[in-house]
Amino acid sequence: MPSKNVVFLINEFNNHGGAQRVASILTEEFMADGHHVAVLSINEQKNVPSYFSEDVPVKVLHRKYRAPQPIEISSNLKDFKFLKVQKELKRRYLLKKKRDEVEAFFKAYGNEEVYVIAIQVYAMQWIRPLLYKPNIKIIGQSHESVAAAKGSKRYKRILIHYRQVSKFLLLTQKDAEHFQEMGFTNTGVMYNPAPFRKLNLPENLYKNKKIVSSGRLVEDKGFDLLIEAFAKVADELPGWTVHIYGDGPAEKPLKNLIRILGMEQRIFLEGQTEDIQAALEAGSFFVLSSKAEGLPMSLIEAQSCGLPCISSDCAPGIREILEEYHNGFITPVGDTAILSRHIKRLAQNPDLFYTFSNNAYSSSAKFDRKVIKNKWYELFEELGGERDGR
Amino acid sequence: MAAEIQTNRRAKLSVVVIAFNNELYIEEALESLHEQTFDDFEVVVVNDYSSDRTGELIDRFIIDKPKFKAVHLPENSGGCSTPRNTGVAHTTGEFIMFLDGDDWYTIDACEKMVEAIERTGSDFVAGQVIRTNNYEIWYRNQIYSKERINFNIREFTYMLFDSLSVNKIYKRAFLDQHGLRFPEGIHYEDVVFTGNAYFLAESISVIPEPVYYWRVVENAEAKSITNRRHEFENFENRIIAHRYFDQSLRANGAVLYQKEKNNKFLRHDLKLYTNDYLQYDDDYKTRFHHLIYEYLHEVMDEYSFIGLAERDRILYYLLYIGDIEALEDYINYINGLPTKKNRVYNIGSQYYFEPSISAKNQEKFLRMEKPEIDFAITDMGLTLDSFKFQSEIQVNSIAEEEFDSYWVLRNRQTGEILTAVASSEGKAVFELQNMVSGNYYLSLYVKHKGNLHRLLAKNSNISKLPNIELKDHHLSKSIFINEKNSFAIRVSPLKMIDQLRWKVERRRLAKKQQRTPAAAQPSSTRKALERFIPKLPIKSNWVLFESHMGKQYSDSPKYIYEQLLKSGLNFKFIWSFQQPDQVGLPGSAIKVERNSLRHFYYLNRAKYWVDNQGIAHLAKKKEDQVYVQTWHGTPLKKMGYDQKKMPTKSELAKLKIQTEAWDYLISPNRYTTEILRRGFRYGGEILETGYPRNDLLVHQPESVKQNTRQYFGLSNEKHVILYAPTFRDWDPNSFQKVLDDVQRMSKEINRNSVILMRLHYLLSEKISQLELPANIINASTYQDIQELYLLSDLLITDYSSVMFDYALLKRPIVLYCYDLDEYITRRGMYFNFTELAPGPLCQTMDEVMYYINQPDALRKFEGDLEKFGARFNSLEDGQASMKVVEQIFKS
Repeated sequence: MPSKNVVFLINEFNNHGGAQRVASILTEEFMADGHHVAVLSINEQKNVPSYFSEDVPVKVLHRKYRAPQPIEISSNLKDFKFLKVQKELKRRYLLKKKRDEVEAFFKAYGNEEVYVIAIQVYAMQWIRPLLYKPNIKIIGQSHESVAAAKGSKRYKRILIHYRQVSKFLLLTQKDAEHFQEMGFTNTGVMYNPAPFRKLNLPENLYKNKKIVSSGRLVEDKGFDLLIEAFAKVADELPGWTVHIYGDGPAEKPLKNLIRILGMEQRIFLEGQTEDIQAALEAGSFFVLSSKAEGLPMSLIEAQSCGLPCISSDCAPGIREILEEYHNGFITPVGDTAILSRHIKRLAQNPDLFYTFSNNAYSSSAKFDRKVIKNKWYELFEELGGERDGR
Repeated sequence: MAAEIQTNRRAKLSVVVIAFNNELYIEEALESLHEQTFDDFEVVVVNDYSSDRTGELIDRFIIDKPKFKAVHLPENSGGCSTPRNTGVAHTTGEFIMFLDGDDWYTIDACEKMVEAIERTGSDFVAGQVIRTNNYEIWYRNQIYSKERINFNIREFTYMLFDSLSVNKIYKRAFLDQHGLRFPEGIHYEDVVFTGNAYFLAESISVIPEPVYYWRVVENAEAKSITNRRHEFENFENRIIAHRYFDQSLRANGAVLYQKEKNNKFLRHDLKLYTNDYLQYDDDYKTRFHHLIYEYLHEVMDEYSFIGLAERDRILYYLLYIGDIEALEDYINYINGLPTKKNRVYNIGSQYYFEPSISAKNQEKFLRMEKPEIDFAITDMGLTLDSFKFQSEIQVNSIAEEEFDSYWVLRNRQTGEILTAVASSEGKAVFELQNMVSGNYYLSLYVKHKGNLHRLLAKNSNISKLPNIELKDHHLSKSIFINEKNSFAIRVSPLKMIDQLRWKVERRRLAKKQQRTPAAAQPSSTRKALERFIPKLPIKSNWVLFESHMGKQYSDSPKYIYEQLLKSGLNFKFIWSFQQPDQVGLPGSAIKVERNSLRHFYYLNRAKYWVDNQGIAHLAKKKEDQVYVQTWHGTPLKKMGYDQKKMPTKSELAKLKIQTEAWDYLISPNRYTTEILRRGFRYGGEILETGYPRNDLLVHQPESVKQNTRQYFGLSNEKHVILYAPTFRDWDPNSFQKVLDDVQRMSKEINRNSVILMRLHYLLSEKISQLELPANIINASTYQDIQELYLLSDLLITDYSSVMFDYALLKRPIVLYCYDLDEYITRRGMYFNFTELAPGPLCQTMDEVMYYINQPDALRKFEGDLEKFGARFNSLEDGQASMKVVEQIFKS
């Protein structure tokens, strides 16, 4: 395959979200195959390292400025809100200016084909004019479920900006079907790649007697439910401990909860880890008790190390990763009673655990980074072959 | 020891769990019971001879759990009834609940249910069910949104929609008293059991609390018994269950509620099967039709369908009359598949689906909102000057030669319209040279027998949407899909200054479009002024004019105004218009916008109001003010209090505000005087002077005639036909009719003739969006219709009062009254039109064309015309304006 030009379009390239993680993995794979990858980032965080390697050229549009929501000028003028108007005028001026910069950025590619992967919809406003450049193929992504997007401005933005992109990629078939019903004709499904995949002996994993969970410590991730559920059955599971990786604003209330339940010796907030793979391989099974997700990377990673998973049914993506009673368990969101029972079941039945562990590892094959990389190449071929009908 | 105590003491609650091949889930079900927050219960697990490990798992689970008991049936019962009844027989609790082996209870289900049934004393209590495919509550909004205590099913029949038995707690005494058990040997036992329970219970309660998880396994290879809809037995079983339920309705004396039961059957049960109809094989279909025909006729008649949604109504009706052919066609039709026969037809604007078997009143049941129209767009191409695409239009079940279609691009901001022409290779082609800024949305118009259907093109109709943007010096034209998925060509200016200008213009246009609702809120300054202005003194030499609610400079007010101008009296004149800057008029009159603050000011201060419709509601008329109502035509159709349909109270109140304000009413003849008096209940002074506007038709000044001809670019030799049909507001498709008729006339009139159309403004607006043949001129927006009379040689009209004025000219009138009977029925007329008509009464366009092209034939009607004129126009002597001025303004 001749080398391709790929540009990732990201809100903040050095943020540590799942989407950036995915982009960095793909970047590594694409570059290893000799393709040219660049990152176009709207904003950046100050002095924070990114997932991307030093070799990736990164263009940041706004070093400091953060574009606010657009507002109507006339009504604010009438209300004498001049500061707001001034802010809006600045936004419009900068948008135009930065659009020109973006155009210049892409001019450098001449007539060569460029695949622009917009990992978040927010950034689309800066590259809208590129829709009409025949050599530029824009691939829009939404890294969350429809339900999660609907709770924010992103859903409306998707309806506005992703109608005309070459491809609109969702994480799950169900999400794609939703947008097909909304009249989208360009939808597709692309799984996130697992950053690593390693077979661990189920017996070894089981011996660790550790329940692992990870994610930002925020209300939405529902770690309190895991703590409650485990505390309820802790006495019946001697030797088993819970390890939660990640940091965030909910750390203090979670610590309190652990203390109140007298679980200081059983449940540990481990903080952010640089090496999640090691953390998983030191564990036995993984629990996700989140309230909203897309296609959670943490589940994919856990499966890729052979860990059975218990997850709340918080997004259509869960059922595309987990198969109930085959490689894990699924609980209704917020139901600690059934979460406790499933934890007990996995912890107390080594045979069941071994079976689930083996199944988990083989199920994770579809998220293997090589497999996903090739899916992307197929997509590039599909889009590259298309010519606009003029 | 513990076991002994257990047997001696009766538990409060008994839970019956049934299991058949539930090895994956049974432990979960039992654990959910074991962990209940409630304690005083016993569990009997009935294993219906499972062939997997279910039995073994049950036995293992109940070891050391004295509350749990297992019963293993010696053979499979093939359903849920036997195990549940067996379970009931093995328990003794005061209350009973049921759980299926693949579902589970919420942790506090038993506690909540026992609490509720003890508190309410109901015969049974129902709780919420959560389905695990979407975690939504079964019938949440209609039933389970709030607590409902001790109701009888007859008070709240919607409850029938929940026919589950497992989400409920029952008093054992209630079940025993009525011998209520699950019917064995059938499926859908819940329909019968729950249905009976509903009608036997004195009181039922509902709690808005989740108690039961219903596990829905999607894409499962082995579907549960009740999910195998493709096997005919399944349908048969459902009907059997419903027949049992029907029987018990009768037995329980609840036959009155058959209708509510039928409603649930139609909306829920039968729908499941009609949805799958296309997948059935021939054998299934034959048996299905046979059984459903029989069953529907047993318990309902066709009027059970009348309140259902269109598709269900038509489907069930066809099933009911046993019209298999038409039913299959209808199912194809709604699935976008070709039908064997063309079955969609219309009567006027109402569409119907045609059955093969005709029955009485069938059209009530086979009505359709609109025909299904589908289209696909391919090979789209955009250049700076043109926009082309290939299209395929499918109007399902209507013969191709019956419909006609065309494409339109409409600029949503400016309202500008472009119409496509067909290219030689069958593509639709738009010329794009004259585009202005804005978004041009693409629509398909389909004409079908007098009906016009408009469909907006969506992204989904287009295959391979090209993203094209083209720029010339000033504009960019690009393909655009909006957030609602509609397709448009977006035209935007390129230069900065043009962009700014367009932004302002766009705002102005958008504001104009939404003016009506926005204008409802007057500012506080305006409110203050509106209180103050009426206190100002009246100016005795100010005259305020208005014609047709400010739409025109025309009619009698115009001629009174011009007469006043000529008189040289010292007056100040004010004219109100909806769009003052669009109207030119002679003299020094002040033009104000109707309903503006300025208008209000002049309404309050002018001594005289001259108007032909109604302005009294705009300002309270004062004692000293004089309102001259000229009215706008000799009445033909019934009006005011005479109307066929008596106007509502509020309409009459509005009319009263107007008529009470009138000081003078001008009448063209005795006939009108009487009608206006009676129809408006008007007791004031009437000036029988003839119409001021008709002075022009008596004098027929050559200069006006010439000016008007020049305005339309018509040479003196041209034969001018004025076509002025009335507006049929009851018929949404009158537009299409007018259009078709005009097009026909355009083709068949001789080369020296032109047609001037005078239409209602709603029709005119629509027609102005289309390109008309050269010999058709839309004169609808021309200010003064009297001038059009003067210029024309022949009039075609129907029920319009224009015929009275026109008769003054003694030129031929052709009456094209294709819907005379309907018109008379709807509107009513003041005299026998057939007898008194001033010209030939035509029912069809053929007749109209005959008279247009045969002047000799028209001559025969000169006598009628003469008579008509003598009856209605005897007062018209060309002095009406003068008389009005003399009597009102000079006294």
